[in-house]
Amino acid sequence: MSRSSPAQRLASIEPGTRGHIVRVARDHRDRADRLMALGVTPGASIHVLQQFPSVVFMCDQTELAVEPAVADAILVQIE
Amino acid sequence: MSCAQVAVRKSATEPLLKLRARPLRLALVGNANVGKSVLFGRLTGQYAVVSNYPGTTVALTLGRALIGAEVCDVTDTPGVNAVEGVLSEDELVTRRILETGETDVVIQVADARNLRRGLMLTSQLAAFKLPMVLVLNMADEARTHGVHIDAAGLAASLGIPVVETVATEGRGVAALKDVLANAAVPNPRGDHAGDHAKWAHDMAVQFRRLQPRSAARVQERLSRMVREPATGLPILALVLYVMYLIVGVFGAQTLVGLIENGLFKQFINPAAAFLVNRFVPWAIVRDFLVGEYGLITMGLTYAIAIVLPVVATFFLVFGFLEDSGYIPRLAIFSDRIFRAMGLNGKAVLPMVLGLGCDTMATMTTRILGTPKERLIAVLLLALGIPCSAQLATIFGILGGISFAALMTLFGVVLAQMFLVGFLAARVLPGERSEFMMELPPIRLPHMRNVVYKTVLRVRWYLGEAVPLFLVGTALLFVLSRLGWLAAMTRGLEPLVQGLLGLPARTTEVFVMGFLRRDYGAAGLFRMARAGDLQPVQAVVALTVMTLFVPCVANFLMMVKEQGWKPALGILGVVTVIAIGTGAALNTVLHVLHVSF
Ligand SMILES: Nc1nc2c(ncn2[C@@H]2O[C@H](COP(=O)(O)OP(=O)(O)OP(=O)(O)O)[C@@H](O)[C@H]2O)c(=O)[nH]1
Ligand SMILES: [Mg+2]
Repeated sequence: MSRSSPAQRLASIEPGTRGHIVRVARDHRDRADRLMALGVTPGASIHVLQQFPSVVFMCDQTELAVEPAVADAILVQIE
Repeated sequence: MSCAQVAVRKSATEPLLKLRARPLRLALVGNANVGKSVLFGRLTGQYAVVSNYPGTTVALTLGRALIGAEVCDVTDTPGVNAVEGVLSEDELVTRRILETGETDVVIQVADARNLRRGLMLTSQLAAFKLPMVLVLNMADEARTHGVHIDAAGLAASLGIPVVETVATEGRGVAALKDVLANAAVPNPRGDHAGDHAKWAHDMAVQFRRLQPRSAARVQERLSRMVREPATGLPILALVLYVMYLIVGVFGAQTLVGLIENGLFKQFINPAAAFLVNRFVPWAIVRDFLVGEYGLITMGLTYAIAIVLPVVATFFLVFGFLEDSGYIPRLAIFSDRIFRAMGLNGKAVLPMVLGLGCDTMATMTTRILGTPKERLIAVLLLALGIPCSAQLATIFGILGGISFAALMTLFGVVLAQMFLVGFLAARVLPGERSEFMMELPPIRLPHMRNVVYKTVLRVRWYLGEAVPLFLVGTALLFVLSRLGWLAAMTRGLEPLVQGLLGLPARTTEVFVMGFLRRDYGAAGLFRMARAGDLQPVQAVVALTVMTLFVPCVANFLMMVKEQGWKPALGILGVVTVIAIGTGAALNTVLHVLHVSF
């Protein structure tokens, strides 16, 4: 995998884009833990589906919906 | 066949099945919506409610299964995302049975497609040092999505039996029963201690092969259409309209007409009256059975003729929606609104379930993240969500007046819910949790399950609601005999007639409504039929009734989930809001000269 572009926040990625999760910001208490329990952890593949009204994405084989603030904390390496 | 492939650990230690003082206790544990309840049904022959959304099971279900020659106790548990860290109320229920030693063997059920998440849980479950078996369910869906798992390799690495199943078809269930004797405590995980995520990821990479394949085109298309606003909102309107046609028109008008006029007016009531008058010598008993507040003429007619057809049609449509995976997707649109009310999009589940039964939905608030969210959701359910039985009477009365009347009621109730939620979010202590939610796959519902659920729920309605209905009728009869009803009517006159502008008889209806608001509404139904209610009065009375606490059962559930104090607090607040709103609505409608 060539690191052509830097990691981006999930909240700012165009629908249709695929990539991998690099990091989940730990700045908000138990946000990262709750995301982890849903499978949103570094290394997981991700496919962005929609940004509005909620952010919807496929993480590995799970479809998830999150509010924008949460999507802002997820860093994605685009492929 | 690989779907029922069994991988048993090589070095079998001493078998688990032996002579015991009490039955072996098995617990089905796993992520939400992976098929635990279907498997529970397959193992025990008992039905646990199955729906296609996370959070169907929020309390323990117990059953018995014959495994080999042994009878075992089986427990179905609420789905969990994790069993350590920050947990919701339903996850705590599951964690408790692992901690307290109430379980001898854990059957972890995982979605084969989602091996990573399943293993993350395996890693946490291993800490409880209980013998385990891993079930990879939904092997059929895994295959259509190009997911292949090396079950034998996984079993060897984990040191526990791994079985692939398709619970809905019963495939692999016999194999599961066979390997239960080999359940074992999972191997220590080496140097990843604590980092469940990394371990699960590495294991998934090692034992799972993904073939990029999109066999499920239609599914993806549909899923996209309901989720994007441009298509999703029109679809929502269409769904509501179809629901109205089936429940509000076919159920509440056609079926009710047939049963009430055809069956009760023509046959049952005259026959009952004839028999009672002929064979019962005491006037008071005759009155009790077939008089104005008679058990048969009033109680049974309401319960069977007016409410039952709507409850049945509603649950049929509702069960279909539940199993399709559509309901959780409404969270995408409603998250922003719920956030203003101190909740998040996930609250759409208990709210929509409340349309079926507020009491059950009050229990489902366990899936919400924080105590504050649970309290607000319980309050809003009690305040504004009409249950199916009550929808019956709303459609029945207002459907016959005008569409505008119907919209006025729903508009006022929704606005009131929003206002109360908005204020509660600011007044109550605590905070809301962030919106993050799993969306189940869109599936074509199995009609068998939908019909089965409907039958169960209708039976439950008859079992729970009808006796209470009869008690209410009896109570009204006694009150009216003792002259207390007249006294109450007089006492409440300034409120009912003055403030709300309703006929004096409405007080009786409110007494019934206190037991269950749909009975009250059913009373209004009769008054409306008899021409005793003007359209404006009908709208005002129904609005007040809708805003009341749904029923005695719902109140008791509130006590169970929140304690006496909050429950009484909610009861008080809701009653004041109901009457206040009714008075305001009455004034506004009169000032504006609205007549519907
Ligand atoms: N295709 C397929 N669907 C399944 C299978 N097992 C269960 N389902 C469906 O998955 C959905 C969830 O099943 P449940 O048994 O309610 O799941 P649960 O694990 O009890 O869920 P919670 O109680 O919410 O934790 C239902 O719509 C089932 O029909 C399976 O093996 N294959
Ligand atoms: Mg279940």
